[in-house]
Amino acid sequence: MTGDDGGTAAATTVVMLPLLLVVLTGALELGVLRAVASRVVSAADLATIVAVNDQDHGELARTGTLRLAADAAVAAREYFARNLSSTAPALALSPADIAASADIATFPAAPSVDPRTGVRYDHPTLRLIASVPVRTPGFAALLMPAVTTITIRAASSPR
Amino acid sequence: MIRRLAAFAMAITLMTGGFASAWDPVEQEPEPFPPPDAPTPDPDAFIIPAGLYYVTDTYVADVTTSYGATTTYSTTTVHESTGTYARVLGNVDTGASSAFDGMAFNGRGALTDGRALAGTYYENFVLTASGYVPVSIVFFRDDSETRRSASVPSPWPGATAATTISAPGTTAVPPPALTTPAPSVVPQFPTMPPTPIVPGTPIVPGTPIAPVDPVLRAGVALAPDGPTLPSAEVLRGRSIQFWPRAFANDVVVPIRSWRLVSVWPDQISASSGSLEPLTAQWIRMPEPDVRWSLRFEITTEAAPRALLEAQITVTVRSPALID
Repeated sequence: MTGDDGGTAAATTVVMLPLLLVVLTGALELGVLRAVASRVVSAADLATIVAVNDQDHGELARTGTLRLAADAAVAAREYFARNLSSTAPALALSPADIAASADIATFPAAPSVDPRTGVRYDHPTLRLIASVPVRTPGFAALLMPAVTTITIRAASSPR
Repeated sequence: MIRRLAAFAMAITLMTGGFASAWDPVEQEPEPFPPPDAPTPDPDAFIIPAGLYYVTDTYVADVTTSYGATTTYSTTTVHESTGTYARVLGNVDTGASSAFDGMAFNGRGALTDGRALAGTYYENFVLTASGYVPVSIVFFRDDSETRRSASVPSPWPGATAATTISAPGTTAVPPPALTTPAPSVVPQFPTMPPTPIVPGTPIVPGTPIAPVDPVLRAGVALAPDGPTLPSAEVLRGRSIQFWPRAFANDVVVPIRSWRLVSVWPDQISASSGSLEPLTAQWIRMPEPDVRWSLRFEITTEAAPRALLEAQITVTVRSPALID
């Protein structure tokens, strides 16, 4: 490398550094967002499983078939909020608000078709769809939205 | 010196002494009352007569029923307790004599040919402070006679059924002194045509009907008063109670015992029982489309010798995510 080459490299670095920082910040923020989204999805999955695990004992005694408890949706919403609490610092809204706005539907009879997603359920099913606002300060530094909303879906049934 | 003084004092004492007329007050008192004899219980008073039982069906009246050429002599009872006890003295056949003939307050009765009726003598007791006291003897008639067909026309047409009820003591079996005579009642059933009994034909009074054994069936329910189910879904890890149930003519009858004769779930409370249910739990998840079949052998109070079978098919499920 000659002295002219050294000057060229310095100039190139100075020119490319902002671009590198943008790419690096974006990559880090995407990684964080992906991790938060994964935890939110897990929170929703666990909430639906807990709710499905609570069955209507009276219906079981009468017909011998499993049927979702009457308060299955309430239980799913409650446990969704509880599960989100560990991710609360990364969320733009409180877990309770997010859970309250979630679209939770029960399909006690099978088979049935989810009118929102078109999915067919062969067993009594509980479905949860939620829009979760996640803080993305890295994007904000790049003049992008400071909050990124991710939509998750979870469904569970006794199989 | 001392000896002399002592002898002198003794002599003086003996010379001046005299006989005393002592009076012993205790000696003049009469003998104290002897301790009262403890009441000795009558050795026979509280001996429970052999075969004694508490009366739950009380004698009402003697009944004579005529149907065609057959006359039946029986006894009606009412299901009530008068606080008395009774025991069987013995059965007596038609025409046979008994040591208790003439002792029953309702008599024994006789067939048309003069022979004494068959039946059973009962002795009635009341429980008093001194024990079981016999109060009366009652005769329960159980006999019938059929007139010769040569001398009696066919019961159809024109056959009639008649019942005569006579009750020397209509209140209760013991004691006869408390009873009041009751008039005889002779209800008349309408004349019936000679219609053979076929399925679907209404049963008419007077038609002899053979006793029919109740239809027994058994099943398994998931609640003590729940319906019996052929199959059921259960969640893995959940404790489920299986209640063996039995019915006689679709009426619930008590379970005497049950026994699980099929393969067992992962956890069970017992392999046999009586009033308590079987509590079962599946820990392992079976292969897809694999079902468990629980079979029970059940005995009931209604028919203890009858062994009933009940079965329920179980599908074990577990909450799972849907893609």
